Amino acid sequence: MKSLPEITDKVKKNLIWKSIFRRDYRNTVRDKAQAVFGNVFLHLHPVQVRESAVKLRFTWGMGGITFFAFILLVITGVVLMFYYHPSIDQAYTDIKDLEFQVPFGVILRNLHRWGAHFMVIVVMIHMFRVFMTGSYKAPRQFNWGIGVFLLVLTFLLSFTGYLTPWDQLGFWAITVGTNMGAATPLLGYQGPFSEYLHITPYNDIRFALLGGAQVGGNALLRSYIWHCVAIPLISIILMFVHFWRVRKDGGISKPQK
Amino acid sequence: MEPFIEIITQPDNIAIVIMIFMVSFFMVWAFQQAFQNDRLLAAGLPVEGENDKFVDTFKPLVRIELIIAVVVMVGLTVWSIAVDAPLEEIANPTITPNPAKAPWYFLGLQELLVYFDPWLAGVVLPSLIVVGLLAIPYIDINPKGNGYYTFSERKYAIMIFSFGFFVLWLLLIVIGVFFRGPGWLWYWPWQEWDHARVVFEPTKDLTAVIGIDSRSLPGFIIGAFLVGSYLVGGMIAPYRYWKKNNPELLAKLGMVRYVTIMFLFITMMSIPIKMVLRLVFLIKYIWITPWFNV
Amino acid sequence: MANENKNNSSYRVYLFVFFSALLLALSLWVVWDDEFGLRPWKKYQEEFKTLKHDQLEKDYRKAVVEFQRSGGHARLADLEAQLAKAESAFQSKATQEKFKQLTSQFDTLHEQLVLNQKELQNARGLFLESEYYFTKTQKQEYKARMDELQRQIDAIVLRGAALQKKEDSLKSSLSELTAGKERIAAEIERMQGGLEDLKEKIANNKKVPVEIKQIHIKDIDKADRCQTCHIGIDGKRPVSALQPFARHPASFIYLDHHDPAKFGCTFCHRGQGRATTSVEKAHGTVKHWDEPLLAGDMTQTSCLNCHGDLKGLRGAEEIVNSTELLKKYGCYSCHKIPGYETVGDVGPVLTEVGSKVNYSWAVKWLLDPKLYFSTARMPKFFFTQDQAESIADYLFSMSGTTRHDVDYSKQTPDAKLVEQGKALWSQARCNLCHTTGGRGGNHVKVYAPDLSKVGSKVNKEWLFRWIKNPNAYFPGTKMPRFRFTDEDIKSLVEYITSEYKDEEAELKYVQPVEIQVASIKKGKDLVQKYGCYGCHKLQGMEEMVQIAPSLKRQGVSFLRGDEMREKIGTELSSIGSKPLEMLDFGKLKKSIPNDRLSYIKQKLRDPRGYRLGLRMPDFRLSESEINELSAVLYGFTDSNVPARFMVPSRQELDRMAGVQTYKFTGDFAKVIADVKCTNCHSIRGIGADYAPDLSYAGSKLQEGWIRSFLANPDVIRPLLQQMPKLGLTSGKPLAKITMPRFNLGQQKVEDTNRTDVDAVINFFQQELVSNDIPKKIPGITTLTMPEQITKGKSIYDEKGCKACHQIGTEGGALGPNLSNVGNRLNPGFIFKHLENARKFKPDIVEPDYGFTERERIYLTNFLMTLKLNKK
Repeated sequence: MKSLPEITDKVKKNLIWKSIFRRDYRNTVRDKAQAVFGNVFLHLHPVQVRESAVKLRFTWGMGGITFFAFILLVITGVVLMFYYHPSIDQAYTDIKDLEFQVPFGVILRNLHRWGAHFMVIVVMIHMFRVFMTGSYKAPRQFNWGIGVFLLVLTFLLSFTGYLTPWDQLGFWAITVGTNMGAATPLLGYQGPFSEYLHITPYNDIRFALLGGAQVGGNALLRSYIWHCVAIPLISIILMFVHFWRVRKDGGISKPQK
Repeated sequence: MEPFIEIITQPDNIAIVIMIFMVSFFMVWAFQQAFQNDRLLAAGLPVEGENDKFVDTFKPLVRIELIIAVVVMVGLTVWSIAVDAPLEEIANPTITPNPAKAPWYFLGLQELLVYFDPWLAGVVLPSLIVVGLLAIPYIDINPKGNGYYTFSERKYAIMIFSFGFFVLWLLLIVIGVFFRGPGWLWYWPWQEWDHARVVFEPTKDLTAVIGIDSRSLPGFIIGAFLVGSYLVGGMIAPYRYWKKNNPELLAKLGMVRYVTIMFLFITMMSIPIKMVLRLVFLIKYIWITPWFNV
Repeated sequence: MANENKNNSSYRVYLFVFFSALLLALSLWVVWDDEFGLRPWKKYQEEFKTLKHDQLEKDYRKAVVEFQRSGGHARLADLEAQLAKAESAFQSKATQEKFKQLTSQFDTLHEQLVLNQKELQNARGLFLESEYYFTKTQKQEYKARMDELQRQIDAIVLRGAALQKKEDSLKSSLSELTAGKERIAAEIERMQGGLEDLKEKIANNKKVPVEIKQIHIKDIDKADRCQTCHIGIDGKRPVSALQPFARHPASFIYLDHHDPAKFGCTFCHRGQGRATTSVEKAHGTVKHWDEPLLAGDMTQTSCLNCHGDLKGLRGAEEIVNSTELLKKYGCYSCHKIPGYETVGDVGPVLTEVGSKVNYSWAVKWLLDPKLYFSTARMPKFFFTQDQAESIADYLFSMSGTTRHDVDYSKQTPDAKLVEQGKALWSQARCNLCHTTGGRGGNHVKVYAPDLSKVGSKVNKEWLFRWIKNPNAYFPGTKMPRFRFTDEDIKSLVEYITSEYKDEEAELKYVQPVEIQVASIKKGKDLVQKYGCYGCHKLQGMEEMVQIAPSLKRQGVSFLRGDEMREKIGTELSSIGSKPLEMLDFGKLKKSIPNDRLSYIKQKLRDPRGYRLGLRMPDFRLSESEINELSAVLYGFTDSNVPARFMVPSRQELDRMAGVQTYKFTGDFAKVIADVKCTNCHSIRGIGADYAPDLSYAGSKLQEGWIRSFLANPDVIRPLLQQMPKLGLTSGKPLAKITMPRFNLGQQKVEDTNRTDVDAVINFFQQELVSNDIPKKIPGITTLTMPEQITKGKSIYDEKGCKACHQIGTEGGALGPNLSNVGNRLNPGFIFKHLENARKFKPDIVEPDYGFTERERIYLTNFLMTLKLNKK
């Protein structure tokens, strides 16, 4: 029998291994740097970071956790899309069948739902942390703004997903939510000054949101598309900017006096 | 207590319970670190992280990221195994549940509906929250406290933000989730929800309290005067105060910044003021106009 | 260059390893849960397969034993020996030689045949080619070639036929050689076949996949997965009597008429058809699923979803009974219930009640009807003494100005009249409907008040008027008008008032007292508030209905019926599918289960229990009545059943076809309105199923018999009413009854010269006839009448008719007595009835003997000789 080092050595000399990792890792400065910028996921990070960035007590890891939750939601969400039709005849039974028929349907839906709630919580705490450390101050003002938009988008992602099961809970939550839209000044039919623009329930902002005067099939389709396509796309773009700016603004903020 | 347990064990509300614990934990942690740094600052010592060395990303940071990812995944899996996502009856436009609640993170706004008309509570105020958040980096010109926890160096900023975040946002959410029952009436956790309960609070408009019909012209004028003087007075009074006591601050802020700060602050403070008026003095509107009511 | 903190980093590694291991464990748990925890049906299906396997195994063993017992082994051994012998004979040299020779001949021949076939194809191809060129060019050379080829083809065909013939003969000689052993092998195969079949079944059972089984109804996207657990529900043979493996009970009624593949399960049984993860979820007894499972008799409520007519529907007996109860208590009087809009009032007209009853009685009755007699139908309204007096004042004020009683207890009755009245009482069979202190009342489906204390309730003058013509006082009453003379009625009144008295009655107003005006007003308000006009006609409130809540706020509390169509009670048309959110459990939210059925039952048990201010009175229903009533109420749903499943009622069908609903006409209508034949009899779908259906009475019955029967009704079916209907119902057996004597034939029908019996007979013969029933039966010329009768008699004996029918004193009592059938029935009817007994009476128990026409003629002729001579 060969000893373990011999086997590892053999594996590391293997053509496939070499094609993936290119070179052996030898705990040198060069190799450490190589490990970071040679990897598409890790190269978001600088090669070296300040000690605080590694300590949990400063960042709480909230930004990273948010991103992790987002990835988890994308993965579970895409799988859920295989089993779902955004029509009022089928949506509810599709969700029922997730439990009753689909392999791993229960855990899939639970992970998606609780992951979404979790992301909302975490993103709020992330904002709190950034405020408390004053990390929005120069030169990071712009990135704070991006963060605010990402926060709003997170709420909207969760909100649009609420309707998709087409049950009483989602239906009325969306009804209550969008009814507020009807009160928009000028643009909602119940809002002040809307009569001067001849706004009715059939041409106001709520109608545009729901694709109808009531929550119905169109609203379901709209919320589905916002939820699965539009908002994730916008979020991903803003996330790129957000992460990029973290690097360009000097990484994790450090005491500046 | 039984009704309370029923409410907090509703699947969706477990998220709020988790949120309460997480937020409290991180709040305490943040302030603890802030006070610690304050002590260091008072002693003239460097704050935490000021003399940071650099460490390699690979592996210390990568390792910690992996651990967090696994821990989060474990937590979410446990949560998903323990609690099933709710699925109620199929949507039925003819049956309105009582109370019909928005998703939990919007319940603070729904709670505001008690005190403000929908156009304010549902549209104007949320928009101003976003605008206010966006404006923070530009109106906070205090250069201190950048990159470390501190309280003493930015007392006002932290107090105002904490009031908005913990009280006006999170506390109202908690109230909306746990203390509001049928008819959006207040229920203590030990109280049974009663769908037939009717609570009649004889609310009045502010001018009606002093005997003037709020829908009449005098009422309109008085209401407009009160609202206007709140806005204008709120702008001028601090200006006067600072002009006298701290003119450099004003000069540093500049007029535009000052007006923005004060407008946002006045708007934020109008929420607790209106809540007190409504809850304690049973006052519904201050100013009634043909288009909207305040 | 930073240096790592070694301690720190190693503890992080442990942390990472620990949580990774935890995550792995959780993942494994998730996989396990998804495979087994969430799929409990796998266990059931495995268990079912085991049970089925055991059953088949047992069958197999039994078959083997049977096989051995019947000497199968010996026979098999014998056959095998024969086979071996045949085989060895076949293997003998001479035979083998011959076989080989024949086989080689056959092969050569076959080759030739194949070649020939090829040649034929060739020639045909060439022919077609030439034909093509010829039609294109019209050149003669092609024509010639065609002819030439045709000749060739003919020759080849001929040759082929000859070869084929040779081959056939070779084939048969070959098979002659092997036939013997093949026959024996087939015999062995057949003997082992039964056993092999069973073996194969066992093997197949093992191969049955464990999977979700569902019935998908495409157009409404309904998926019922009930059979995933209830796997043997539609099986041919039960493997277990226990759920979930049992077969559907009475499946010859339910499943045979409702193909599970088309109907699924949940149309009738409700529950959550898609659910597979737990019994509670599948049965729908969980939160957020409003349709819990219906099981047992309760399932019959679902018949109401589709069937317009339940009467006579097999398998719906329970729900039919419940429907009767709903009619008895008149729930529709206060609640809107579809299909009951036109049913008449439950209670008598009260406008002139002051001239009918004693004031003291009225107050007592209002306080609690059951104080007067225990089977009273009127509910208790929980009035106070004061309220009851006010209502009585209001009612009495409509026909007078005083509170007044009459007391007959001090008077001495006329003994002779009483004697006469008593005789009449039993002759007229008053006790059939009316009970007197627990006696009588056999006709349970007609509600008639108990008369044991009636002497202290009503006055003689009113009673006389009532018996003389009930319709005059209460149009729509079920009480028939007996054809009594005034003298008769007088004696009957004397008998009733003297015999049936309330010894404890306190008659306080023998000296009349003036009614207070304020009390009248108060009484009227109460009558309006509690909606007495729902069941009773009241002067000035005939069309009174309570207005909807929205108008009440504007100070309007009552409107005329033409202004507003709302009943006092909650609409019940979809109570069985009403969302739980709309049911107010009030005070009892914690103490009773929060489901719809429990709500309905509790409401019936304690109508005012949910919260203060409710007005529904207490009917004091027994627990079984509550179950029955809630069953029928539960069936009133916003049905989501597709239209193709609907079975419209006869009325609806008539309406759709543009046919007028059947109505009685002429003098007969007057007789019916008077005698209320339809209280018991059903005629063309109208009326009750308590007595024989008279829809074709004209074709069925002989005139003379009808006349004598109406004059003196007698028992025809002594036992029939006690007959258990094959165990499908669990109702209590009905007692023996006969028709009351109405003294028909003594009076003329109003405005005419005919007696009522003439009117009845005329209508029977004109209207109640069927074209399917011949007037006469076909004659037979080859046999004389006496011979035919003798033959009929022998058929009667052979088929064992007397097991059920009685002739003279001999025979069973299940079917009608046939002693006088020759006088009663028309021969045509008997003839037709023997052909198909179910044609005119679908639920008859008489078996179908499959008589030939001749046999039926003989039997009919025999039966027509059975006559009792009139005395």
